[in-house]
Amino acid sequence: MTKKKLSFRTLCIILTFVFLYMPIGVLVLYSFNAGDSTAVFKGFSFKWYIELFNDTATLNALKNTLVLAILSSVISTIIGTAAAYGISKMKNKYIKNATMSATQIPMINPEIVTGISMMLLFVFVAKLINSTSFLGFWTVLIAHITFNLPYVILLVLPKFKEMDKSLPEAALDLGCTPLQSFFKVELPAIMPGIVAGFIMAFTLSIDDFVISYFTTGSGFETLPIRIYSMTKKRVTPDMYALSTLIFITILVLLLISNLADNKNKIELSKKTKKVLKIVGGSVFGTIGIATIIILCISATTEVKTVNVYNWGEYISDGGDDTLDVNKEFEKWAEEYYKSQGKKVRVQVNYTTYASNEDLYAKIANGAGGYDIIIPSDYMLEKMKEEGHLQPLDSSKIPNLKYLDTQFENMFVYERTETGENGEKTTINDRYGVPYTYGVVGIVYNGAELLENAPEILAHIESGNAGWEVMFGIPKRDANGNFVYDSEGKMILDMDDPENKKFNESYLKLKGQVLQFNNPRDAFGAAMYYLDVDVNNPTQEDWRAVYGLLAMQKNYVGGYVMDEIYNKMENGAAWLAAYYAGDCLSMMGENSDLDFFYPVNEEGYHQTNIFADAMCIPAKADENNLELAYMYINFMMEEEIASANAEYIYYACPYTHVINSDDYKINMGYYEYLYSNDGEILEDDEGNYRLKLDANGNPIYDPEGDYAVIYYDFKTPKVDDPNTPEIDFMLPIDYMFERYMYKDLTNVMLTLNDGTEISQLNMLNHKWEQLKVQSTSMIGIYITCGIIAILIVGFIVYSIIIKRKRRKLYWNNTPTPKAKKREDADPDLSDTTLVAIGKAKKREK
Amino acid sequence: MTKKNNILKQAAAYPHIVWAIIFIIAPLLFVAYYAFTDTDEAGKVHFSLANITSLAQATYLEVFLRSVCFAFLATVICFVIAYPVAYFISRTSPKVQKILVMLVMLPQWLNFLIRTYSWMAILEDTGIINSILGLVGLELHMINTPGAVILGMVYNFLPYMIIPIHSAMTKIDPRVLEAASDLGCNPLGVVTKVVFPLSLSGVISGITMVFVPSISTFYISQKLGGGNFDLIGDSIERQFQTQYDYNMGAAMSFVLMLLIIASMAVMNKYSDDEGGVIV
Repeated sequence: MTKKKLSFRTLCIILTFVFLYMPIGVLVLYSFNAGDSTAVFKGFSFKWYIELFNDTATLNALKNTLVLAILSSVISTIIGTAAAYGISKMKNKYIKNATMSATQIPMINPEIVTGISMMLLFVFVAKLINSTSFLGFWTVLIAHITFNLPYVILLVLPKFKEMDKSLPEAALDLGCTPLQSFFKVELPAIMPGIVAGFIMAFTLSIDDFVISYFTTGSGFETLPIRIYSMTKKRVTPDMYALSTLIFITILVLLLISNLADNKNKIELSKKTKKVLKIVGGSVFGTIGIATIIILCISATTEVKTVNVYNWGEYISDGGDDTLDVNKEFEKWAEEYYKSQGKKVRVQVNYTTYASNEDLYAKIANGAGGYDIIIPSDYMLEKMKEEGHLQPLDSSKIPNLKYLDTQFENMFVYERTETGENGEKTTINDRYGVPYTYGVVGIVYNGAELLENAPEILAHIESGNAGWEVMFGIPKRDANGNFVYDSEGKMILDMDDPENKKFNESYLKLKGQVLQFNNPRDAFGAAMYYLDVDVNNPTQEDWRAVYGLLAMQKNYVGGYVMDEIYNKMENGAAWLAAYYAGDCLSMMGENSDLDFFYPVNEEGYHQTNIFADAMCIPAKADENNLELAYMYINFMMEEEIASANAEYIYYACPYTHVINSDDYKINMGYYEYLYSNDGEILEDDEGNYRLKLDANGNPIYDPEGDYAVIYYDFKTPKVDDPNTPEIDFMLPIDYMFERYMYKDLTNVMLTLNDGTEISQLNMLNHKWEQLKVQSTSMIGIYITCGIIAILIVGFIVYSIIIKRKRRKLYWNNTPTPKAKKREDADPDLSDTTLVAIGKAKKREK
Repeated sequence: MTKKNNILKQAAAYPHIVWAIIFIIAPLLFVAYYAFTDTDEAGKVHFSLANITSLAQATYLEVFLRSVCFAFLATVICFVIAYPVAYFISRTSPKVQKILVMLVMLPQWLNFLIRTYSWMAILEDTGIINSILGLVGLELHMINTPGAVILGMVYNFLPYMIIPIHSAMTKIDPRVLEAASDLGCNPLGVVTKVVFPLSLSGVISGITMVFVPSISTFYISQKLGGGNFDLIGDSIERQFQTQYDYNMGAAMSFVLMLLIIASMAVMNKYSDDEGGVIV
């Protein structure tokens, strides 16, 4: 009997621990992955551990996290212990209760509300004192102390209550001063509470993401924030390596402390104590002296910093035998200053963000302190319009000469200045230097498609596949208008036999298609598909694209950003639209993957093209400007730019890189990004022939100013020597003109009822509508309801039973002594009494 | 002890009180301020109930309902798992207990983003569980379902249920349990009639510590739910980070806060504890 019970007990505990440690096992395993993925295991290697120690930004984030955790937990332990002491001495009930309630607020409040409320306060104060670099280390520290305090107080307070009140009095009677009595008597008694509070505070602080995320500003990045910002690109296994190391360290520490605890029972002799004291003292002394020496040395050399705020995983960072670009810059700049006869230590303070919107939120919040930021096209425009950027001095960036001519006028804005005599001069201000560019393509798993939806694969391989593989073909009525259901969703076309055939194959992809989890790209995809102007849709267009996305929501596997890497690489999803460079990285991990640029019915490529550019914020520190320009120029050096391009797989806008043979050889997917003289979107197999008019002349795109030719996919290829050979291509600047996202903030949309609304608001509104749109989860609601009813029923039942039993007991016992009940725990007495009552009843 | 002396001792709490007023109360007033105001096109701030009332739309009501349901189920599951485990742990020897409790807390030291991330690799259609099930010819679709989101919540917050319950249980005088069984209570009766009422304060703290973070989470639903199940946390985060509609975000936060305070008030009716049991 007992044995069986024991095994059930052990089984329960073991299962729970398996549950708790399963993901940790997985991350330990993948930290030894030879491949780049956190989903496909390619063999055993230590490379991510080596990489981790080369990743200065991550190590810096780790340092920040530790410093923050130690400082915040020490400070909150001190304030909290004092507060608990004060509260325990409070006599006024109202003040005491009010203090306790206020203390508990951060515990009861959701983290996100705490984070946001503090952010609102800090932003307000920053505006008040007109500070640009207010958000940062100090605000995060304050926030951490704030949410740590209640835990410390609530852990220490009970210890004061439990403590024998006569002890400090006895100490005072025996001649202690009040201070002595506190430190010698009270403090040791409450020590367990303080230690527990400190550990709790430290744990909370080290793991906190939400509150730090909202309260941090420039240049201060904790580990959780860094991990979150990787989520635009990908979480790399070196994070897993770091987690493994942290895990092992803590495990070892816990084991040691546990062993030490057991040994503590043996009294240490006075001599050992003395030795320990000397050893401890000398260790701390050495550390202190070393710190002072380091501080002295660093005080004598001038330190120059440049604060770079970039996308996560968007620079060659020294991992995998690549160049650590930031380190190279530091070295180079130090050499440069040396040649000028100055001894300067150069530091690149490199932090990362996850999306344009995150970047904007930080900059618009008034968080200054960034010297270089790298927004994308439309965000650059928005920031420039709102005065968050400063025009660049091209003379300080000599390497601009390498910028491909097609990018020459990009991010250069005209401005007319009226001189003293009223004459007008036009000035061209450059606000950004293109860093990378790319196109959105569709990545698919050929093997899975072949097995499950061969028709779709054949369609893709025919070369005339477009966005319909992502969305299906919606139904239109006889007049060619879209058909919507009552919720405003479109309906898959099942009437037209050809469309029906396609849609039936499309439905085989249900749950396997991934959509972007950001409004601009998700709506963009739908707009390119429906041939809507992405930068100025009409109200009818909005209705259509929303209807399309809402229809798609029934079939998509998820709205994702970085998760796409894992899902595509391990075959969990089969088809997704994503940025070309990232698609190429995925292809490097899984050879079943391939990708294409979607084309429209006429056969020309129709998809988003984007460019990210290096900019200097308006509020950048003037003292750092020199270094900021040096940094931008350095990024355009051939060696550096090719290292970046090879690392992030995005297309490079610098001629000396594209034309270098080294780069062509090293860059595995060169032809995907720039085939034939910048004809970036062509299939190199030459399966297409030109679409010709009746006279045999190529048909030009009627809308554009450019001589873009339609490909003819409908007519099979014939080897006709009379077909004119034209080197046809989509010029990049043409693509940019037509397909790049522009800032929508000030583009107004006139609704049918005459009111005006900004296109950006419309986009956000529609996205919100799409995201919160109901998904059928009746099952969950019903389960919830049933459980809730059961719980309420149980509570009511137990209250009734309790009352009945109490009655029963009091009826059986002639002299109830109510006063006793006040001292004892009511529940305790209740239950014991019930047990006694029951026993009595049985006796009868 | 003189009165003056006591006032001096109370003063030890003042730094905290000042801190709480500046960094706890004041920020909440900001939330309320943003929730009840709106900025018109001229940039003027005016009082408005528009944000609060727009939350009454069916879609937002559904988001709230969904969040409450997810958090509720996660809490119930956590309780069902944690209670027996906490009980069994509390029955072991003090030395083993200490180690087990540490092992429960240990995963919390690793970043929760990373832990959630590695769940993705486990739950994926081609993930670890499905590879094992695949050996016996089964397949279970788990990722991007409501179940996966709830699992993520249970996983991340389970230790916060186990620890307070366990800590309340260790405070139970073993003699009480002996008395109960001596007086003829069967083992199950001992747990339900004696241990459970005595550990109720721990259960209440546990429920708070699981329900509150579950209802406001946003990372878990994005990663394990594939962005298909928007929770309040997701909506709030979006208002602040991508829509820049602080007023709407503050209104949502405000309502969420009220919701939680209301549920806590209901809960606290059943506990006479001051909330001292956390760890």
